[in-house]
Amino acid sequence: MATRRAYGVALAKLGEASKRVVALDGDTKNSTFSETFKKAFPDRYIECFIAEQNMVGVAIGCATRDRTVAFASTFAAFFSRGYDQIRMGAISQSNVNLVGSHCGVSIGEDGPSQMALEDLAIFRAIPTCTVFYPSDAVSTERAVELSANTKGICFIRTSRPDNAVIYSPDEKFEVGIAKVVRQSDSDCVTVIGAGVTLHEALAAADMLASEGKNIRVIDPFTIKPLDAATIMASARATKGQIITVEDHYKEGGLGEAVLSAVGGEPGIVVTRLAVSGVPRSGKSTELLDMFGISAKHIANAVRQTFAN
Amino acid sequence: MEDYHKPDQQTVQALRNIATRLRINSIKATTAAGSGHPTSCCSVSEIMSVLFFHTMKYRPEDPRNPNSDRFILSKGHAAPVLYAVWAETGYLKENELLNLRKVDSILEGHPVPGLGAACGMAYTGKYFDKASYQVFCLLGDGEMSEGSVWEAMAFASYYQLDNLVAILDINRLGQSDPAPLQHHVEKYQRRCEAFGWQAIIVDGHSVEELCKVLSQPRHQPLAIIAKTIKGKGIPAAEDKMGWHGKPLPKDMADSVIKEMQSRIVSCNKRLYPSPPVEDASPVSLRNIRMPSAPSYKTGEKIATRKAYGMALAKLGRYNDHVVALDGDTKNSTFAELFKNEHPNRFVECYIAEQNMVSVAIGCAVRDRNVVFASTFATFFSRAYDQIRMAAISETNINLCGSHCGVSIGEDGPSQMGLEDLALFRAIPTATVFYPSDGVSTEKAVELAANTKGLCFIRTSRPENNIIYSCNEDFHVGQAKVVYKTNDDQVTVIGAGVTLHEALAAAEQLKKERINIRVIDPFTIKPLDSKTIIDNARATRGRIITVEDHYHEGGIGEAVCAAVVNETGFTVQRLAVSQVPRSGKPAELLRIFGIDRDGITQAVRKMLSGAANAK
Repeated sequence: MATRRAYGVALAKLGEASKRVVALDGDTKNSTFSETFKKAFPDRYIECFIAEQNMVGVAIGCATRDRTVAFASTFAAFFSRGYDQIRMGAISQSNVNLVGSHCGVSIGEDGPSQMALEDLAIFRAIPTCTVFYPSDAVSTERAVELSANTKGICFIRTSRPDNAVIYSPDEKFEVGIAKVVRQSDSDCVTVIGAGVTLHEALAAADMLASEGKNIRVIDPFTIKPLDAATIMASARATKGQIITVEDHYKEGGLGEAVLSAVGGEPGIVVTRLAVSGVPRSGKSTELLDMFGISAKHIANAVRQTFAN
Repeated sequence: MEDYHKPDQQTVQALRNIATRLRINSIKATTAAGSGHPTSCCSVSEIMSVLFFHTMKYRPEDPRNPNSDRFILSKGHAAPVLYAVWAETGYLKENELLNLRKVDSILEGHPVPGLGAACGMAYTGKYFDKASYQVFCLLGDGEMSEGSVWEAMAFASYYQLDNLVAILDINRLGQSDPAPLQHHVEKYQRRCEAFGWQAIIVDGHSVEELCKVLSQPRHQPLAIIAKTIKGKGIPAAEDKMGWHGKPLPKDMADSVIKEMQSRIVSCNKRLYPSPPVEDASPVSLRNIRMPSAPSYKTGEKIATRKAYGMALAKLGRYNDHVVALDGDTKNSTFAELFKNEHPNRFVECYIAEQNMVSVAIGCAVRDRNVVFASTFATFFSRAYDQIRMAAISETNINLCGSHCGVSIGEDGPSQMGLEDLALFRAIPTATVFYPSDGVSTEKAVELAANTKGLCFIRTSRPENNIIYSCNEDFHVGQAKVVYKTNDDQVTVIGAGVTLHEALAAAEQLKKERINIRVIDPFTIKPLDSKTIIDNARATRGRIITVEDHYHEGGIGEAVCAAVVNETGFTVQRLAVSQVPRSGKPAELLRIFGIDRDGITQAVRKMLSGAANAK
């Protein structure tokens, strides 16, 4: 199930649990799946049309004095329209929740204008912000629940492609706690991915296992705060070798977050796979490959760490 | 209206036929791609036919000709119909259309947006080029909800851009719901008129009505409010929700196309666009140089924001095509120094930053101008989508953001740029300048004018010393070592106010017999990794970065990324750690540990940590 669809399911479920939950969207509800909430609770859904600055502003207004738990969604790229409002929301200590779908090149044919490739950078730079990047339907649902209960601005990054459910329904999730989703006693590299690239990393793990090489795969769950302790421990167990892979530009995202987390530690080497240069239209899988963040490239990067 | 020459029946039929062929090709292309927005193309087919084969003056074989009328497809998802137009003119082969949205194709999914950009082109045509070309912008009704559209509307009427035509495709339906005003075209008309435009309602599928409205003389910007049907020509989809972004399945496409083809009435008239009036003089933007070296004296004090204004005015003195824009902050950003000297090349954009960036992009299109747009650094957050799209459309504009960091002082956090480095670093074609004194600011302005892509110059409010001599050479991606001895223990990297704090810290630490090396990166992107790594090696891999910016995405993370694979390097990052407050600049720098005391403390801690580790 795509995490964008899981968001819709989760929000409707949360709406069932609390009357205070309201949802807003910018004429993308059939793409972000906020329409799932709308169908269940039409009186608590606000259509904001294609006016994202205003949507963020209205959401912040709705959340003032804790009158509502507000979730506003659109394509992640379009929150760039409302960034000043988001910035000011943090300054005024808002607890608004923002959900951006269609992240990365993995959206495919709609092309770069619709692809969010800088949203992790801009949300990480917001002081009170928690940045969730759930990789499957279960963790998306947990992210929605945690956002509703976490102070400050919360941003949830969702993807367009369908991906496997990898967590059991009773897996516990917390802000700032990463999950080690693949490990063995003889892991040679730690690979950190999220969203589609977590699944690519798992596929790479399978490829490499058949060559007799094992890798540890980590799902950070929240990019901010980042679970530095788990990442460091894992790095130490894998000879200091880390590879990060993200459907995002190089700057300001998962790679740089990991770098800052391990910056003080000697002996840790980080290789960052990310999208470089303005992308283009194409099939989702072709683009992941073209921009160096598919399973094939992850496996190559792993093999490269041996060569060095 | 007496002047109006009605097109003859042959022409009308030919235009109708073209519209039908545009529909057919849009459907073919999107069905072949398995994705795209055919119904959005169907509502604008007559509009595109009339514009490209009757109204607009251009040369299809020379699309970048500066004399040609300009067309902006703000309704970007109708891209297939634009490509179909090119195929119709012969510029593109029809079989190329089948490669829409495919990886090896040049045909992008959603091209450039913006009535604001259209305003920039129109302003350039009317006031800078003083040429005859007209600007046509096609918008969808969904996007009319965007505030940026109304900022542009206000700008266009304020500046009397009578060479600008906006065609509004009022097809009633958005992506997931009807647009708020649905088919109430009279409401659109009243809104446009309230914003100072002439607004005329037409049947968007009537070739005759479109020809007529596009032929009349204009004294104000014109909004053509075209009432249309989304999915026109596709019976199952006409005016129905649920078809946005859905290509037709193959068998439906085949039968619809067959039906459309049967409507094409044969006619002998071959339509070809009229050539443009050749009155836009050629412009060469190569080598935009300062007439002389900077003339600051070492020890003189000037804020980099003021140095920007002086530099820009100087650049404009010998380069006619430099233009400047600002968002009612010119007395703070010092863009007013340019305005005072070159009033005809300054465009006041008022407090509408999204529009300012779009207008800047429009002014820069086809390399007609070297454009600088300024406001407070933090207000570029208003325009981040426009900035993001500028990179995607390979624009060369220069943005200057003043009042960065807590060092602005009393005006408080709403005015402080603390995330702008993160924002601009994440833009693919961006060069990020962070000059630390008057000399390097002047160099940054000159370099920005000559550097492709988006350039951002970050300037500060406080006054700081001149630290470079006037004949110091500066390059993009080249850092400067501004303080060194043979026995430096730590490399400290700062910029803007924190570079000066680092220099002060160096003086302080010297008294304690601790030597530090101080580096000025000059450009944060690209970052001079080599200089940083070489110097840090000399200081046993010890690096401290200090920035008037949040921790995320700025200098600290850029440096971490640069040295990531050097063994034995440690980077300590000093930055602003939370939402700041009002206060005196010096107090704020101290509270956030990014002043000279914060730096000296960090140096001592790093060294004692190293000593302990031994």
